[in-house]
Formats: sequence, structure tokens, C-alpha cells
Amino acid sequence: MIGWLTENWLPIAVPVVIFLAFSIVALWVRGIIYKTLERHLNKARWQGSQFIIQTTKTPFFHWWLILGAFVAIEVSVLPLPAKVLAARILGSLLVISLTWILINLTEKLLRFYMGKLEIPSSSTTLAVNAVRIAVVVVGVLILLDIWGAPTTPIILMLATVILVAVLAARNVLLDVFSGFELMRGELFTVGDYVKLDSGEEGYIEDIAWTKTRIKALSDNIIVVPNGKFTQATITNYGRPLKKATKPFHFYTRLHLKELTGLKASNLAELAQILGEVPDSVVYYHTHHFLEEHQYLTPEPANDFALWVDDSIGDKALAEKLASIDIFEFPNIEVLRTRIISVINEYLLTNPNSRVAPEGMEFHFIKSTSVILPTAYVANDLREFIQVLRGITIDSLYFHVFESRLRLQKGTNDFSTWLQECLGEDDLANKIAKLDPYNYTLEGLRSAIIQLIEKRIK
Amino acid sequence: MRSEVSHKSAIKIQDYEPIVGKNIIEELRMLADKLSGKVIQNVNSTFSGGGVAEILARMVPLLNQLGVDTRWDIIQGTEEFFEVTKKFHNALHGANEKLTAADFDLFREVSQKNIGDFKSYGDFNLIHDPQPVALIARKKELGGKWVWRCHIDISNPDKKVWQYLRDFVFQYDAAVFSSPNFAQQLPIRQLLIPPSIDPLSDKNKELTSETIDAVLHKYNLDKDKPMVIQISRFDYLKDPVGVIQAFEIVRKSIECQLILAGGTATDDPECEEVLEKVRERAAGNPDIHVLLIPPGSDIEINALQRAAAVVIQKSIKEGFGLTISEALWKSKPVVASAVGGIPLQVKNKLTGLLCHSIEGAAFDLRQILSNPDYARWLGDNGREHVRQNFLITRHLKDYLLLFLSLDYTSDLIYL
Repeated sequence: MIGWLTENWLPIAVPVVIFLAFSIVALWVRGIIYKTLERHLNKARWQGSQFIIQTTKTPFFHWWLILGAFVAIEVSVLPLPAKVLAARILGSLLVISLTWILINLTEKLLRFYMGKLEIPSSSTTLAVNAVRIAVVVVGVLILLDIWGAPTTPIILMLATVILVAVLAARNVLLDVFSGFELMRGELFTVGDYVKLDSGEEGYIEDIAWTKTRIKALSDNIIVVPNGKFTQATITNYGRPLKKATKPFHFYTRLHLKELTGLKASNLAELAQILGEVPDSVVYYHTHHFLEEHQYLTPEPANDFALWVDDSIGDKALAEKLASIDIFEFPNIEVLRTRIISVINEYLLTNPNSRVAPEGMEFHFIKSTSVILPTAYVANDLREFIQVLRGITIDSLYFHVFESRLRLQKGTNDFSTWLQECLGEDDLANKIAKLDPYNYTLEGLRSAIIQLIEKRIK
Repeated sequence: MRSEVSHKSAIKIQDYEPIVGKNIIEELRMLADKLSGKVIQNVNSTFSGGGVAEILARMVPLLNQLGVDTRWDIIQGTEEFFEVTKKFHNALHGANEKLTAADFDLFREVSQKNIGDFKSYGDFNLIHDPQPVALIARKKELGGKWVWRCHIDISNPDKKVWQYLRDFVFQYDAAVFSSPNFAQQLPIRQLLIPPSIDPLSDKNKELTSETIDAVLHKYNLDKDKPMVIQISRFDYLKDPVGVIQAFEIVRKSIECQLILAGGTATDDPECEEVLEKVRERAAGNPDIHVLLIPPGSDIEINALQRAAAVVIQKSIKEGFGLTISEALWKSKPVVASAVGGIPLQVKNKLTGLLCHSIEGAAFDLRQILSNPDYARWLGDNGREHVRQNFLITRHLKDYLLLFLSLDYTSDLIYL
């Protein structure tokens, strides 16, 4: 044995020295590299840096030892098959180590960042497992390559499976990637009120991997795939609005037409009977056109003007009657007086006005209003808009026209509530100043909604 | 007395949602809820034939679907009795009918039998037209609210008949008329509830272009030449000869064709006479087509209205004239006389054009035929006008409101 060592000391010593030299250099290089790395990463204040340092510091030394062993074996006098076998073993060890380290590192990073985003642990575990599988598959493929096994068919098969899976799950993937985007909280966060251009709206209740839950004002839960948010136009109204001291209860008003049996065939009769009929008759003939012809705009004429034009054929008086601005009058009595005075003034200078042809007389009709509460209630501006969009035009009509003039409240119900229960004086004034007679009812609805939307944006 | 309780109908109340909107149907349900537990009893003289039976056949099932218990009874009468009530009907319209004491006795006698047979179960009794009007005699005994639904024009009635019938009418809680100019001053409440069309009926539903073409082909009409159409019974009061005269004025300057389509009443020999005169007047003019349409040809009438460039109704006297709403619902521009219920449907220059003479009708037809954009604007307005005011859903709402309002006297009713 001693003799053999004496003869072969040099081929043995050289690889051993090289291996030992690599071990010593490894310790020295690791010290320098990791000190420098720590300094730079600390400057960058990246919280993930600690994971990299902790996870790779010990394995880094092992990798140098493997490198040292590889060089030592290469310079040794071992036969070529032994060298090849040793290189494969060392290569495999390196791949196993790298795979292990990569799995550890990605797991730590994923758990750290997903924890910060408050993503449920089940989703995190799912992601970690996906990464583990991907890294192990790559590692196994490299090992097979090292040991000379044919990897091309396996890679092709894997690529095909992945391609099919990606195609099949492209929507899910879109949802997942969109979910990452949403979780960053730049578009909206939980608690915000959002509205999509496709009509869904409500408070964001939860943002998950693939879906976001929205709670509508009706308490219905709307589940929206995350991918939809990347394609839709979203309006984010932010946090809940101020609650009213008292909710606004929406009513509706339907009306019956009641015949009085009274009719006029000339202007003098028109003025005389108009002075005697109840307010509900004056109200009917100055307002029913709004409801029955609400698709026509702008302000349609009152019945008196239309009758004078069509049946009496007096365009000048018809024009004067049509130009009476109903919005100016605080109650029906004043409006009635004005209409009568316009007719009487005209009769002073035109006493011989025409008589309506038979069958074209003016029939006095009374409006009987039936007022009912609806199921709709609003507690804040957002709920108010939501309800306002869906109520019937009868309900809108009641709160704007009927309340102001017929119930003599002086202004519309919406302005009163905005002022008294929400302190929204400016908005209340803007709505009160809208002349509702200049709009179709649908136009009026839009105008009010626009004013409120502008306020809460 | 025969009864019918109808809940079944191929058409459901929710089928109207796409046409009038969900909230209108919600509103109907809300009103119907307020009448929960109440029974509405309709009484008229027939289950089939005529406008009243047609509208009840549609409304009764819909009211029941809404949850309002609505029934329908008819009175019994002999052929002679209905001949007398037909005379009453004509006399109330202002016609000079010869009614004898025996006629009044017969009416009284049959009415007495019906009064005795009348089984009341309604909280609201809705009595239609003059035939069952005498049932009001049981009001004190049976209680409930009683409403007389008058579908005819009684503004200028024969005095003798009206004096006889008004004693019954005045005992009702309210009367309902279709148009303000059908009514007169009464000591009871009078409500205005115009009739309506059903957008889902054969007469008004959407048709395919193939169906329309097939009807035009059947009647040998040139679909490429603008059509002016009047659809109504051949009757002097519909002035078909006046329509031909107006058309002849228009035809001098505009390429178009006239279609006069309608039926004749088997019990009215005058119709045959009018048809003959119309044919004589139209003879030799290849652009005038006189079509005798058999009863029940609703799809054909629908197709002709949809094929029209303009619909005319140049009546001298008219009832409510629902053919106007049918045409407007099809977005057709309309030229019509300002008589009967037509001015309610045609707001001059907004939803159609009103005329008062042959020359006026010709002028209006020219305006429409020469200005397609104006014609389209009038037609579109007309359809919206009908959607809001003359569809069956509005009719249902008015009836529900009527029953709900009977316990109140104020102009403002809070429910």
C-alpha cells in the first residue's frame, strides 16, 4: 500500500489539492459575494432579498464543492468511463440542489407577496404547488438529459399538454392575470362602489383569483369574472356616501280622467267656465299633455292653446296661451287667473272670435290622482340615482310636477329631501332650478341623474 | 243569466313587458294587490261578437292573472228583445228610430226576468251598455258599487229613449265613457276610459314580410306603388266616395293606389247599396281597389295596414275609431276626420293629420306621400302615442284605478 502511494502520490495529490483549494476559495468567494449582495439588496430595500440570502447561502458552498470535485476528477488519472460516470453523478447532484433551492425560494416569495395581498391561503397553496410541479418537471427533464435518456418526445408531449391546457383555460388564465392586476388595488379596492359599462353596479365585496363579488344596492350578489374588468369601462365612485337623516320613499301617482260634462264652443265660454271649474280641471288641461305625449319635446302646449289653434283657428291667441310659462306659477289659482286674463284681454280687441265647429268643442276634464307608495327607498345619493333610473315616469311626474304645483309644496320633493335630509343645498337648488316643462319626462330623469352623478364623482 | 270565469288565456300578462316595460306591469300588479279579495262582476249581452265581448274576452283573463277575481255574466233575452235594444242603441246615437209602447214593455218585461235571475257576487258590478242597464234595480238589496260602462255616443240621443234609460243610469255610482264628446252632463260621476287595442292580437301583432306579400298577392295589389288605405265597413258614414274623390285629386300629381277594404253588415241592406256605389265610382280606375274582406280576416287587415304608405279614415261620424290606433301602432301616418274618438288618437300635426273636407284630406295625403321623413316622424310619434295611451295595459290600469277610486270623493286619493 505504502509502495503504491509512493509511486502514485502525484496523481492523487493533485486532485485532492485542487478540491481543497476550491473548498477554501468557496468560503472566501461566498463571504465576498454575499456581503456585497446584502449591501446592495439592503440599499434597494427589497423585502424579498432576505429570502434569497437565507436560502442560497449554504447551497452556494455546496455548489462550489461540486465544482471542485468535478475539476479534481477531470484532472485525475481515472479512466474515461469513470470520469463520465462521476460527472453525471455530480451534475445530477447540482440539478437536484438547484431544483430544491428554486422550489424553496419561490415558495417563500409567493407566500410572502400573496400574504401581503390578503389572498386566501387556499389560493396561495395552489400557486405554490403549481410552481413546485413546474420546477420539478424541468429538473427531471435535465436529469434525464444528463443520463442520456431521450427527452425530446417528453418535451413535445409536455408542450402539447401545456398548449391544450392554456387554450382550454385561456379565459381562466385571463381571469387569473386580471385578478393579479385587481389585487394590486389600483383600479378599486374592497368597499368601493363601482359601475361597469355593461350595467352591473354595487359595492366591491371580495376580489378573488378569478372572480370579483359585487353587492348591488338590492342586496343581490353579482359575481363578475376578473377578465371582464380588463375589457369593461369601469366607473369607480369610491367609498360609501353620506347617509340621509331620513330615507326618501318613492311614491307613484296614477290618474283617472273624470268628465265634468261641461264644454265650451267659443272663447267667452272657455274663459267663463274656466273660472268656475275646480283646480283639478285646470291642472289636467295644463299637464296631461306632458304625460300623454311625453315623447315629444320641447314643452308641449297646454290644451287651451291647442284647442284655440285647432278648433277656433286663432293662431295669435293660441301662441299667447302656449307661451304661458307654467313653471312661473306657485299654485293653480294664479295660473288659472293668468290664462283667463290672456283670453279676456284678447276678447276685448277681438270680440267676434269664431265658434268651434260641432264636435270640436272644448270638453272640461278633471284629473283625479291616485297616489301610492312604491317599494323603492333611497338612503344616499347613489341609491337615489339607482332608484331614479328604474322608477316609472308616473313616479317621477308625481315628485316633480304634482308636488310642486298641485300639492303646493313650492319645490319638487327631490330638492326638499336633498336639502333637509342630506344637507346638499347646492344640488337641491340646481334640481329645483331645472324647468321640468322644458324636458320630456325621460329627458328630465336624465338631467337629474347627471346632476347627481356630477356631484358624487 | 249565464256566467263565465276566465283565467285561461294563451297570452300572459308578462308577455306585454317587452312592449310597455317591466315597470308598467309592476304598477298593474301593485294596483291589483290593492283589490285583493274583491270580486268584479261584468255583465253584458253576449260572450261573442261585437267590440264589448272582444275586449272583455281579453281583459277578464288578464285581470284574473293579476290576481283580481273578475267574472263575466250575460243577460238572457229573446230575439225581439235584442231587436228593441238595437233600436235603443241607434236612438242613443241620435238616429230617428220608431219605438212603440210595446217595445218599451218588452224591454221592461225581459229586464224584469233578468233582474230576478241576477246572481250578484261582485263587490263591483260593471254593467256594459244599455241592454242590462235595468239590473241596477237590485242595487239597494245587493249593495256594492255599480258602474255603467257606456261604449256608445249618447251626447245627442233620441229624447224619448234617453228619458226612459236615464232613470236607470242615474242610480249608478258612476258612468264610464270612451270619449269626452260621447258624454253629457249627468248627476253621477263620469269617467273617461278610452278603449284599447291589444298589441298581441292577430290584428296588431308583428307580421313577416312573406305574410304581408302573400296578402298583397292574394288581392292583386302592386306592393311597389304607395298605398293609401281606408279600412272600414261600407257605410255612408265612412264616406268611401269622399275618399275616392280625395284620392283622385292626389293621383293627378302622385303615383299611388287606393285600397278601400272592409265588410258589409248582414243586417244592414244599406251596406250593399254603398258597396255598389263605391264600385261604380271606382270602375275604370285601375289604381282603385275595392276589397270585400270576410269577417275574421284579422291577419289580412293587419297585413294591409302594414303595407300602407298612409292610412285614411275620412268618416262623417265615428265611434271611437280604434282602426286609427291600429294604424298608428304600426307606425303608419294617418289622415283622419276630426270626429268621434279620432281627435283623442290623432293630435293634429303631431301624431297624424286631421281633416274636415275632401280637399283637406287630399292636401294632407299629398303632404305625407311627398315627404317620407315627415311621414316617418308622424308614424313614430303615433306609435308612441298608442303605446302610452291606447294599449290594453293602460285600459287595465284605468279599470283598476276606477274600482279603487269608487270609495273616494276627493281629487287626490292616497292609497
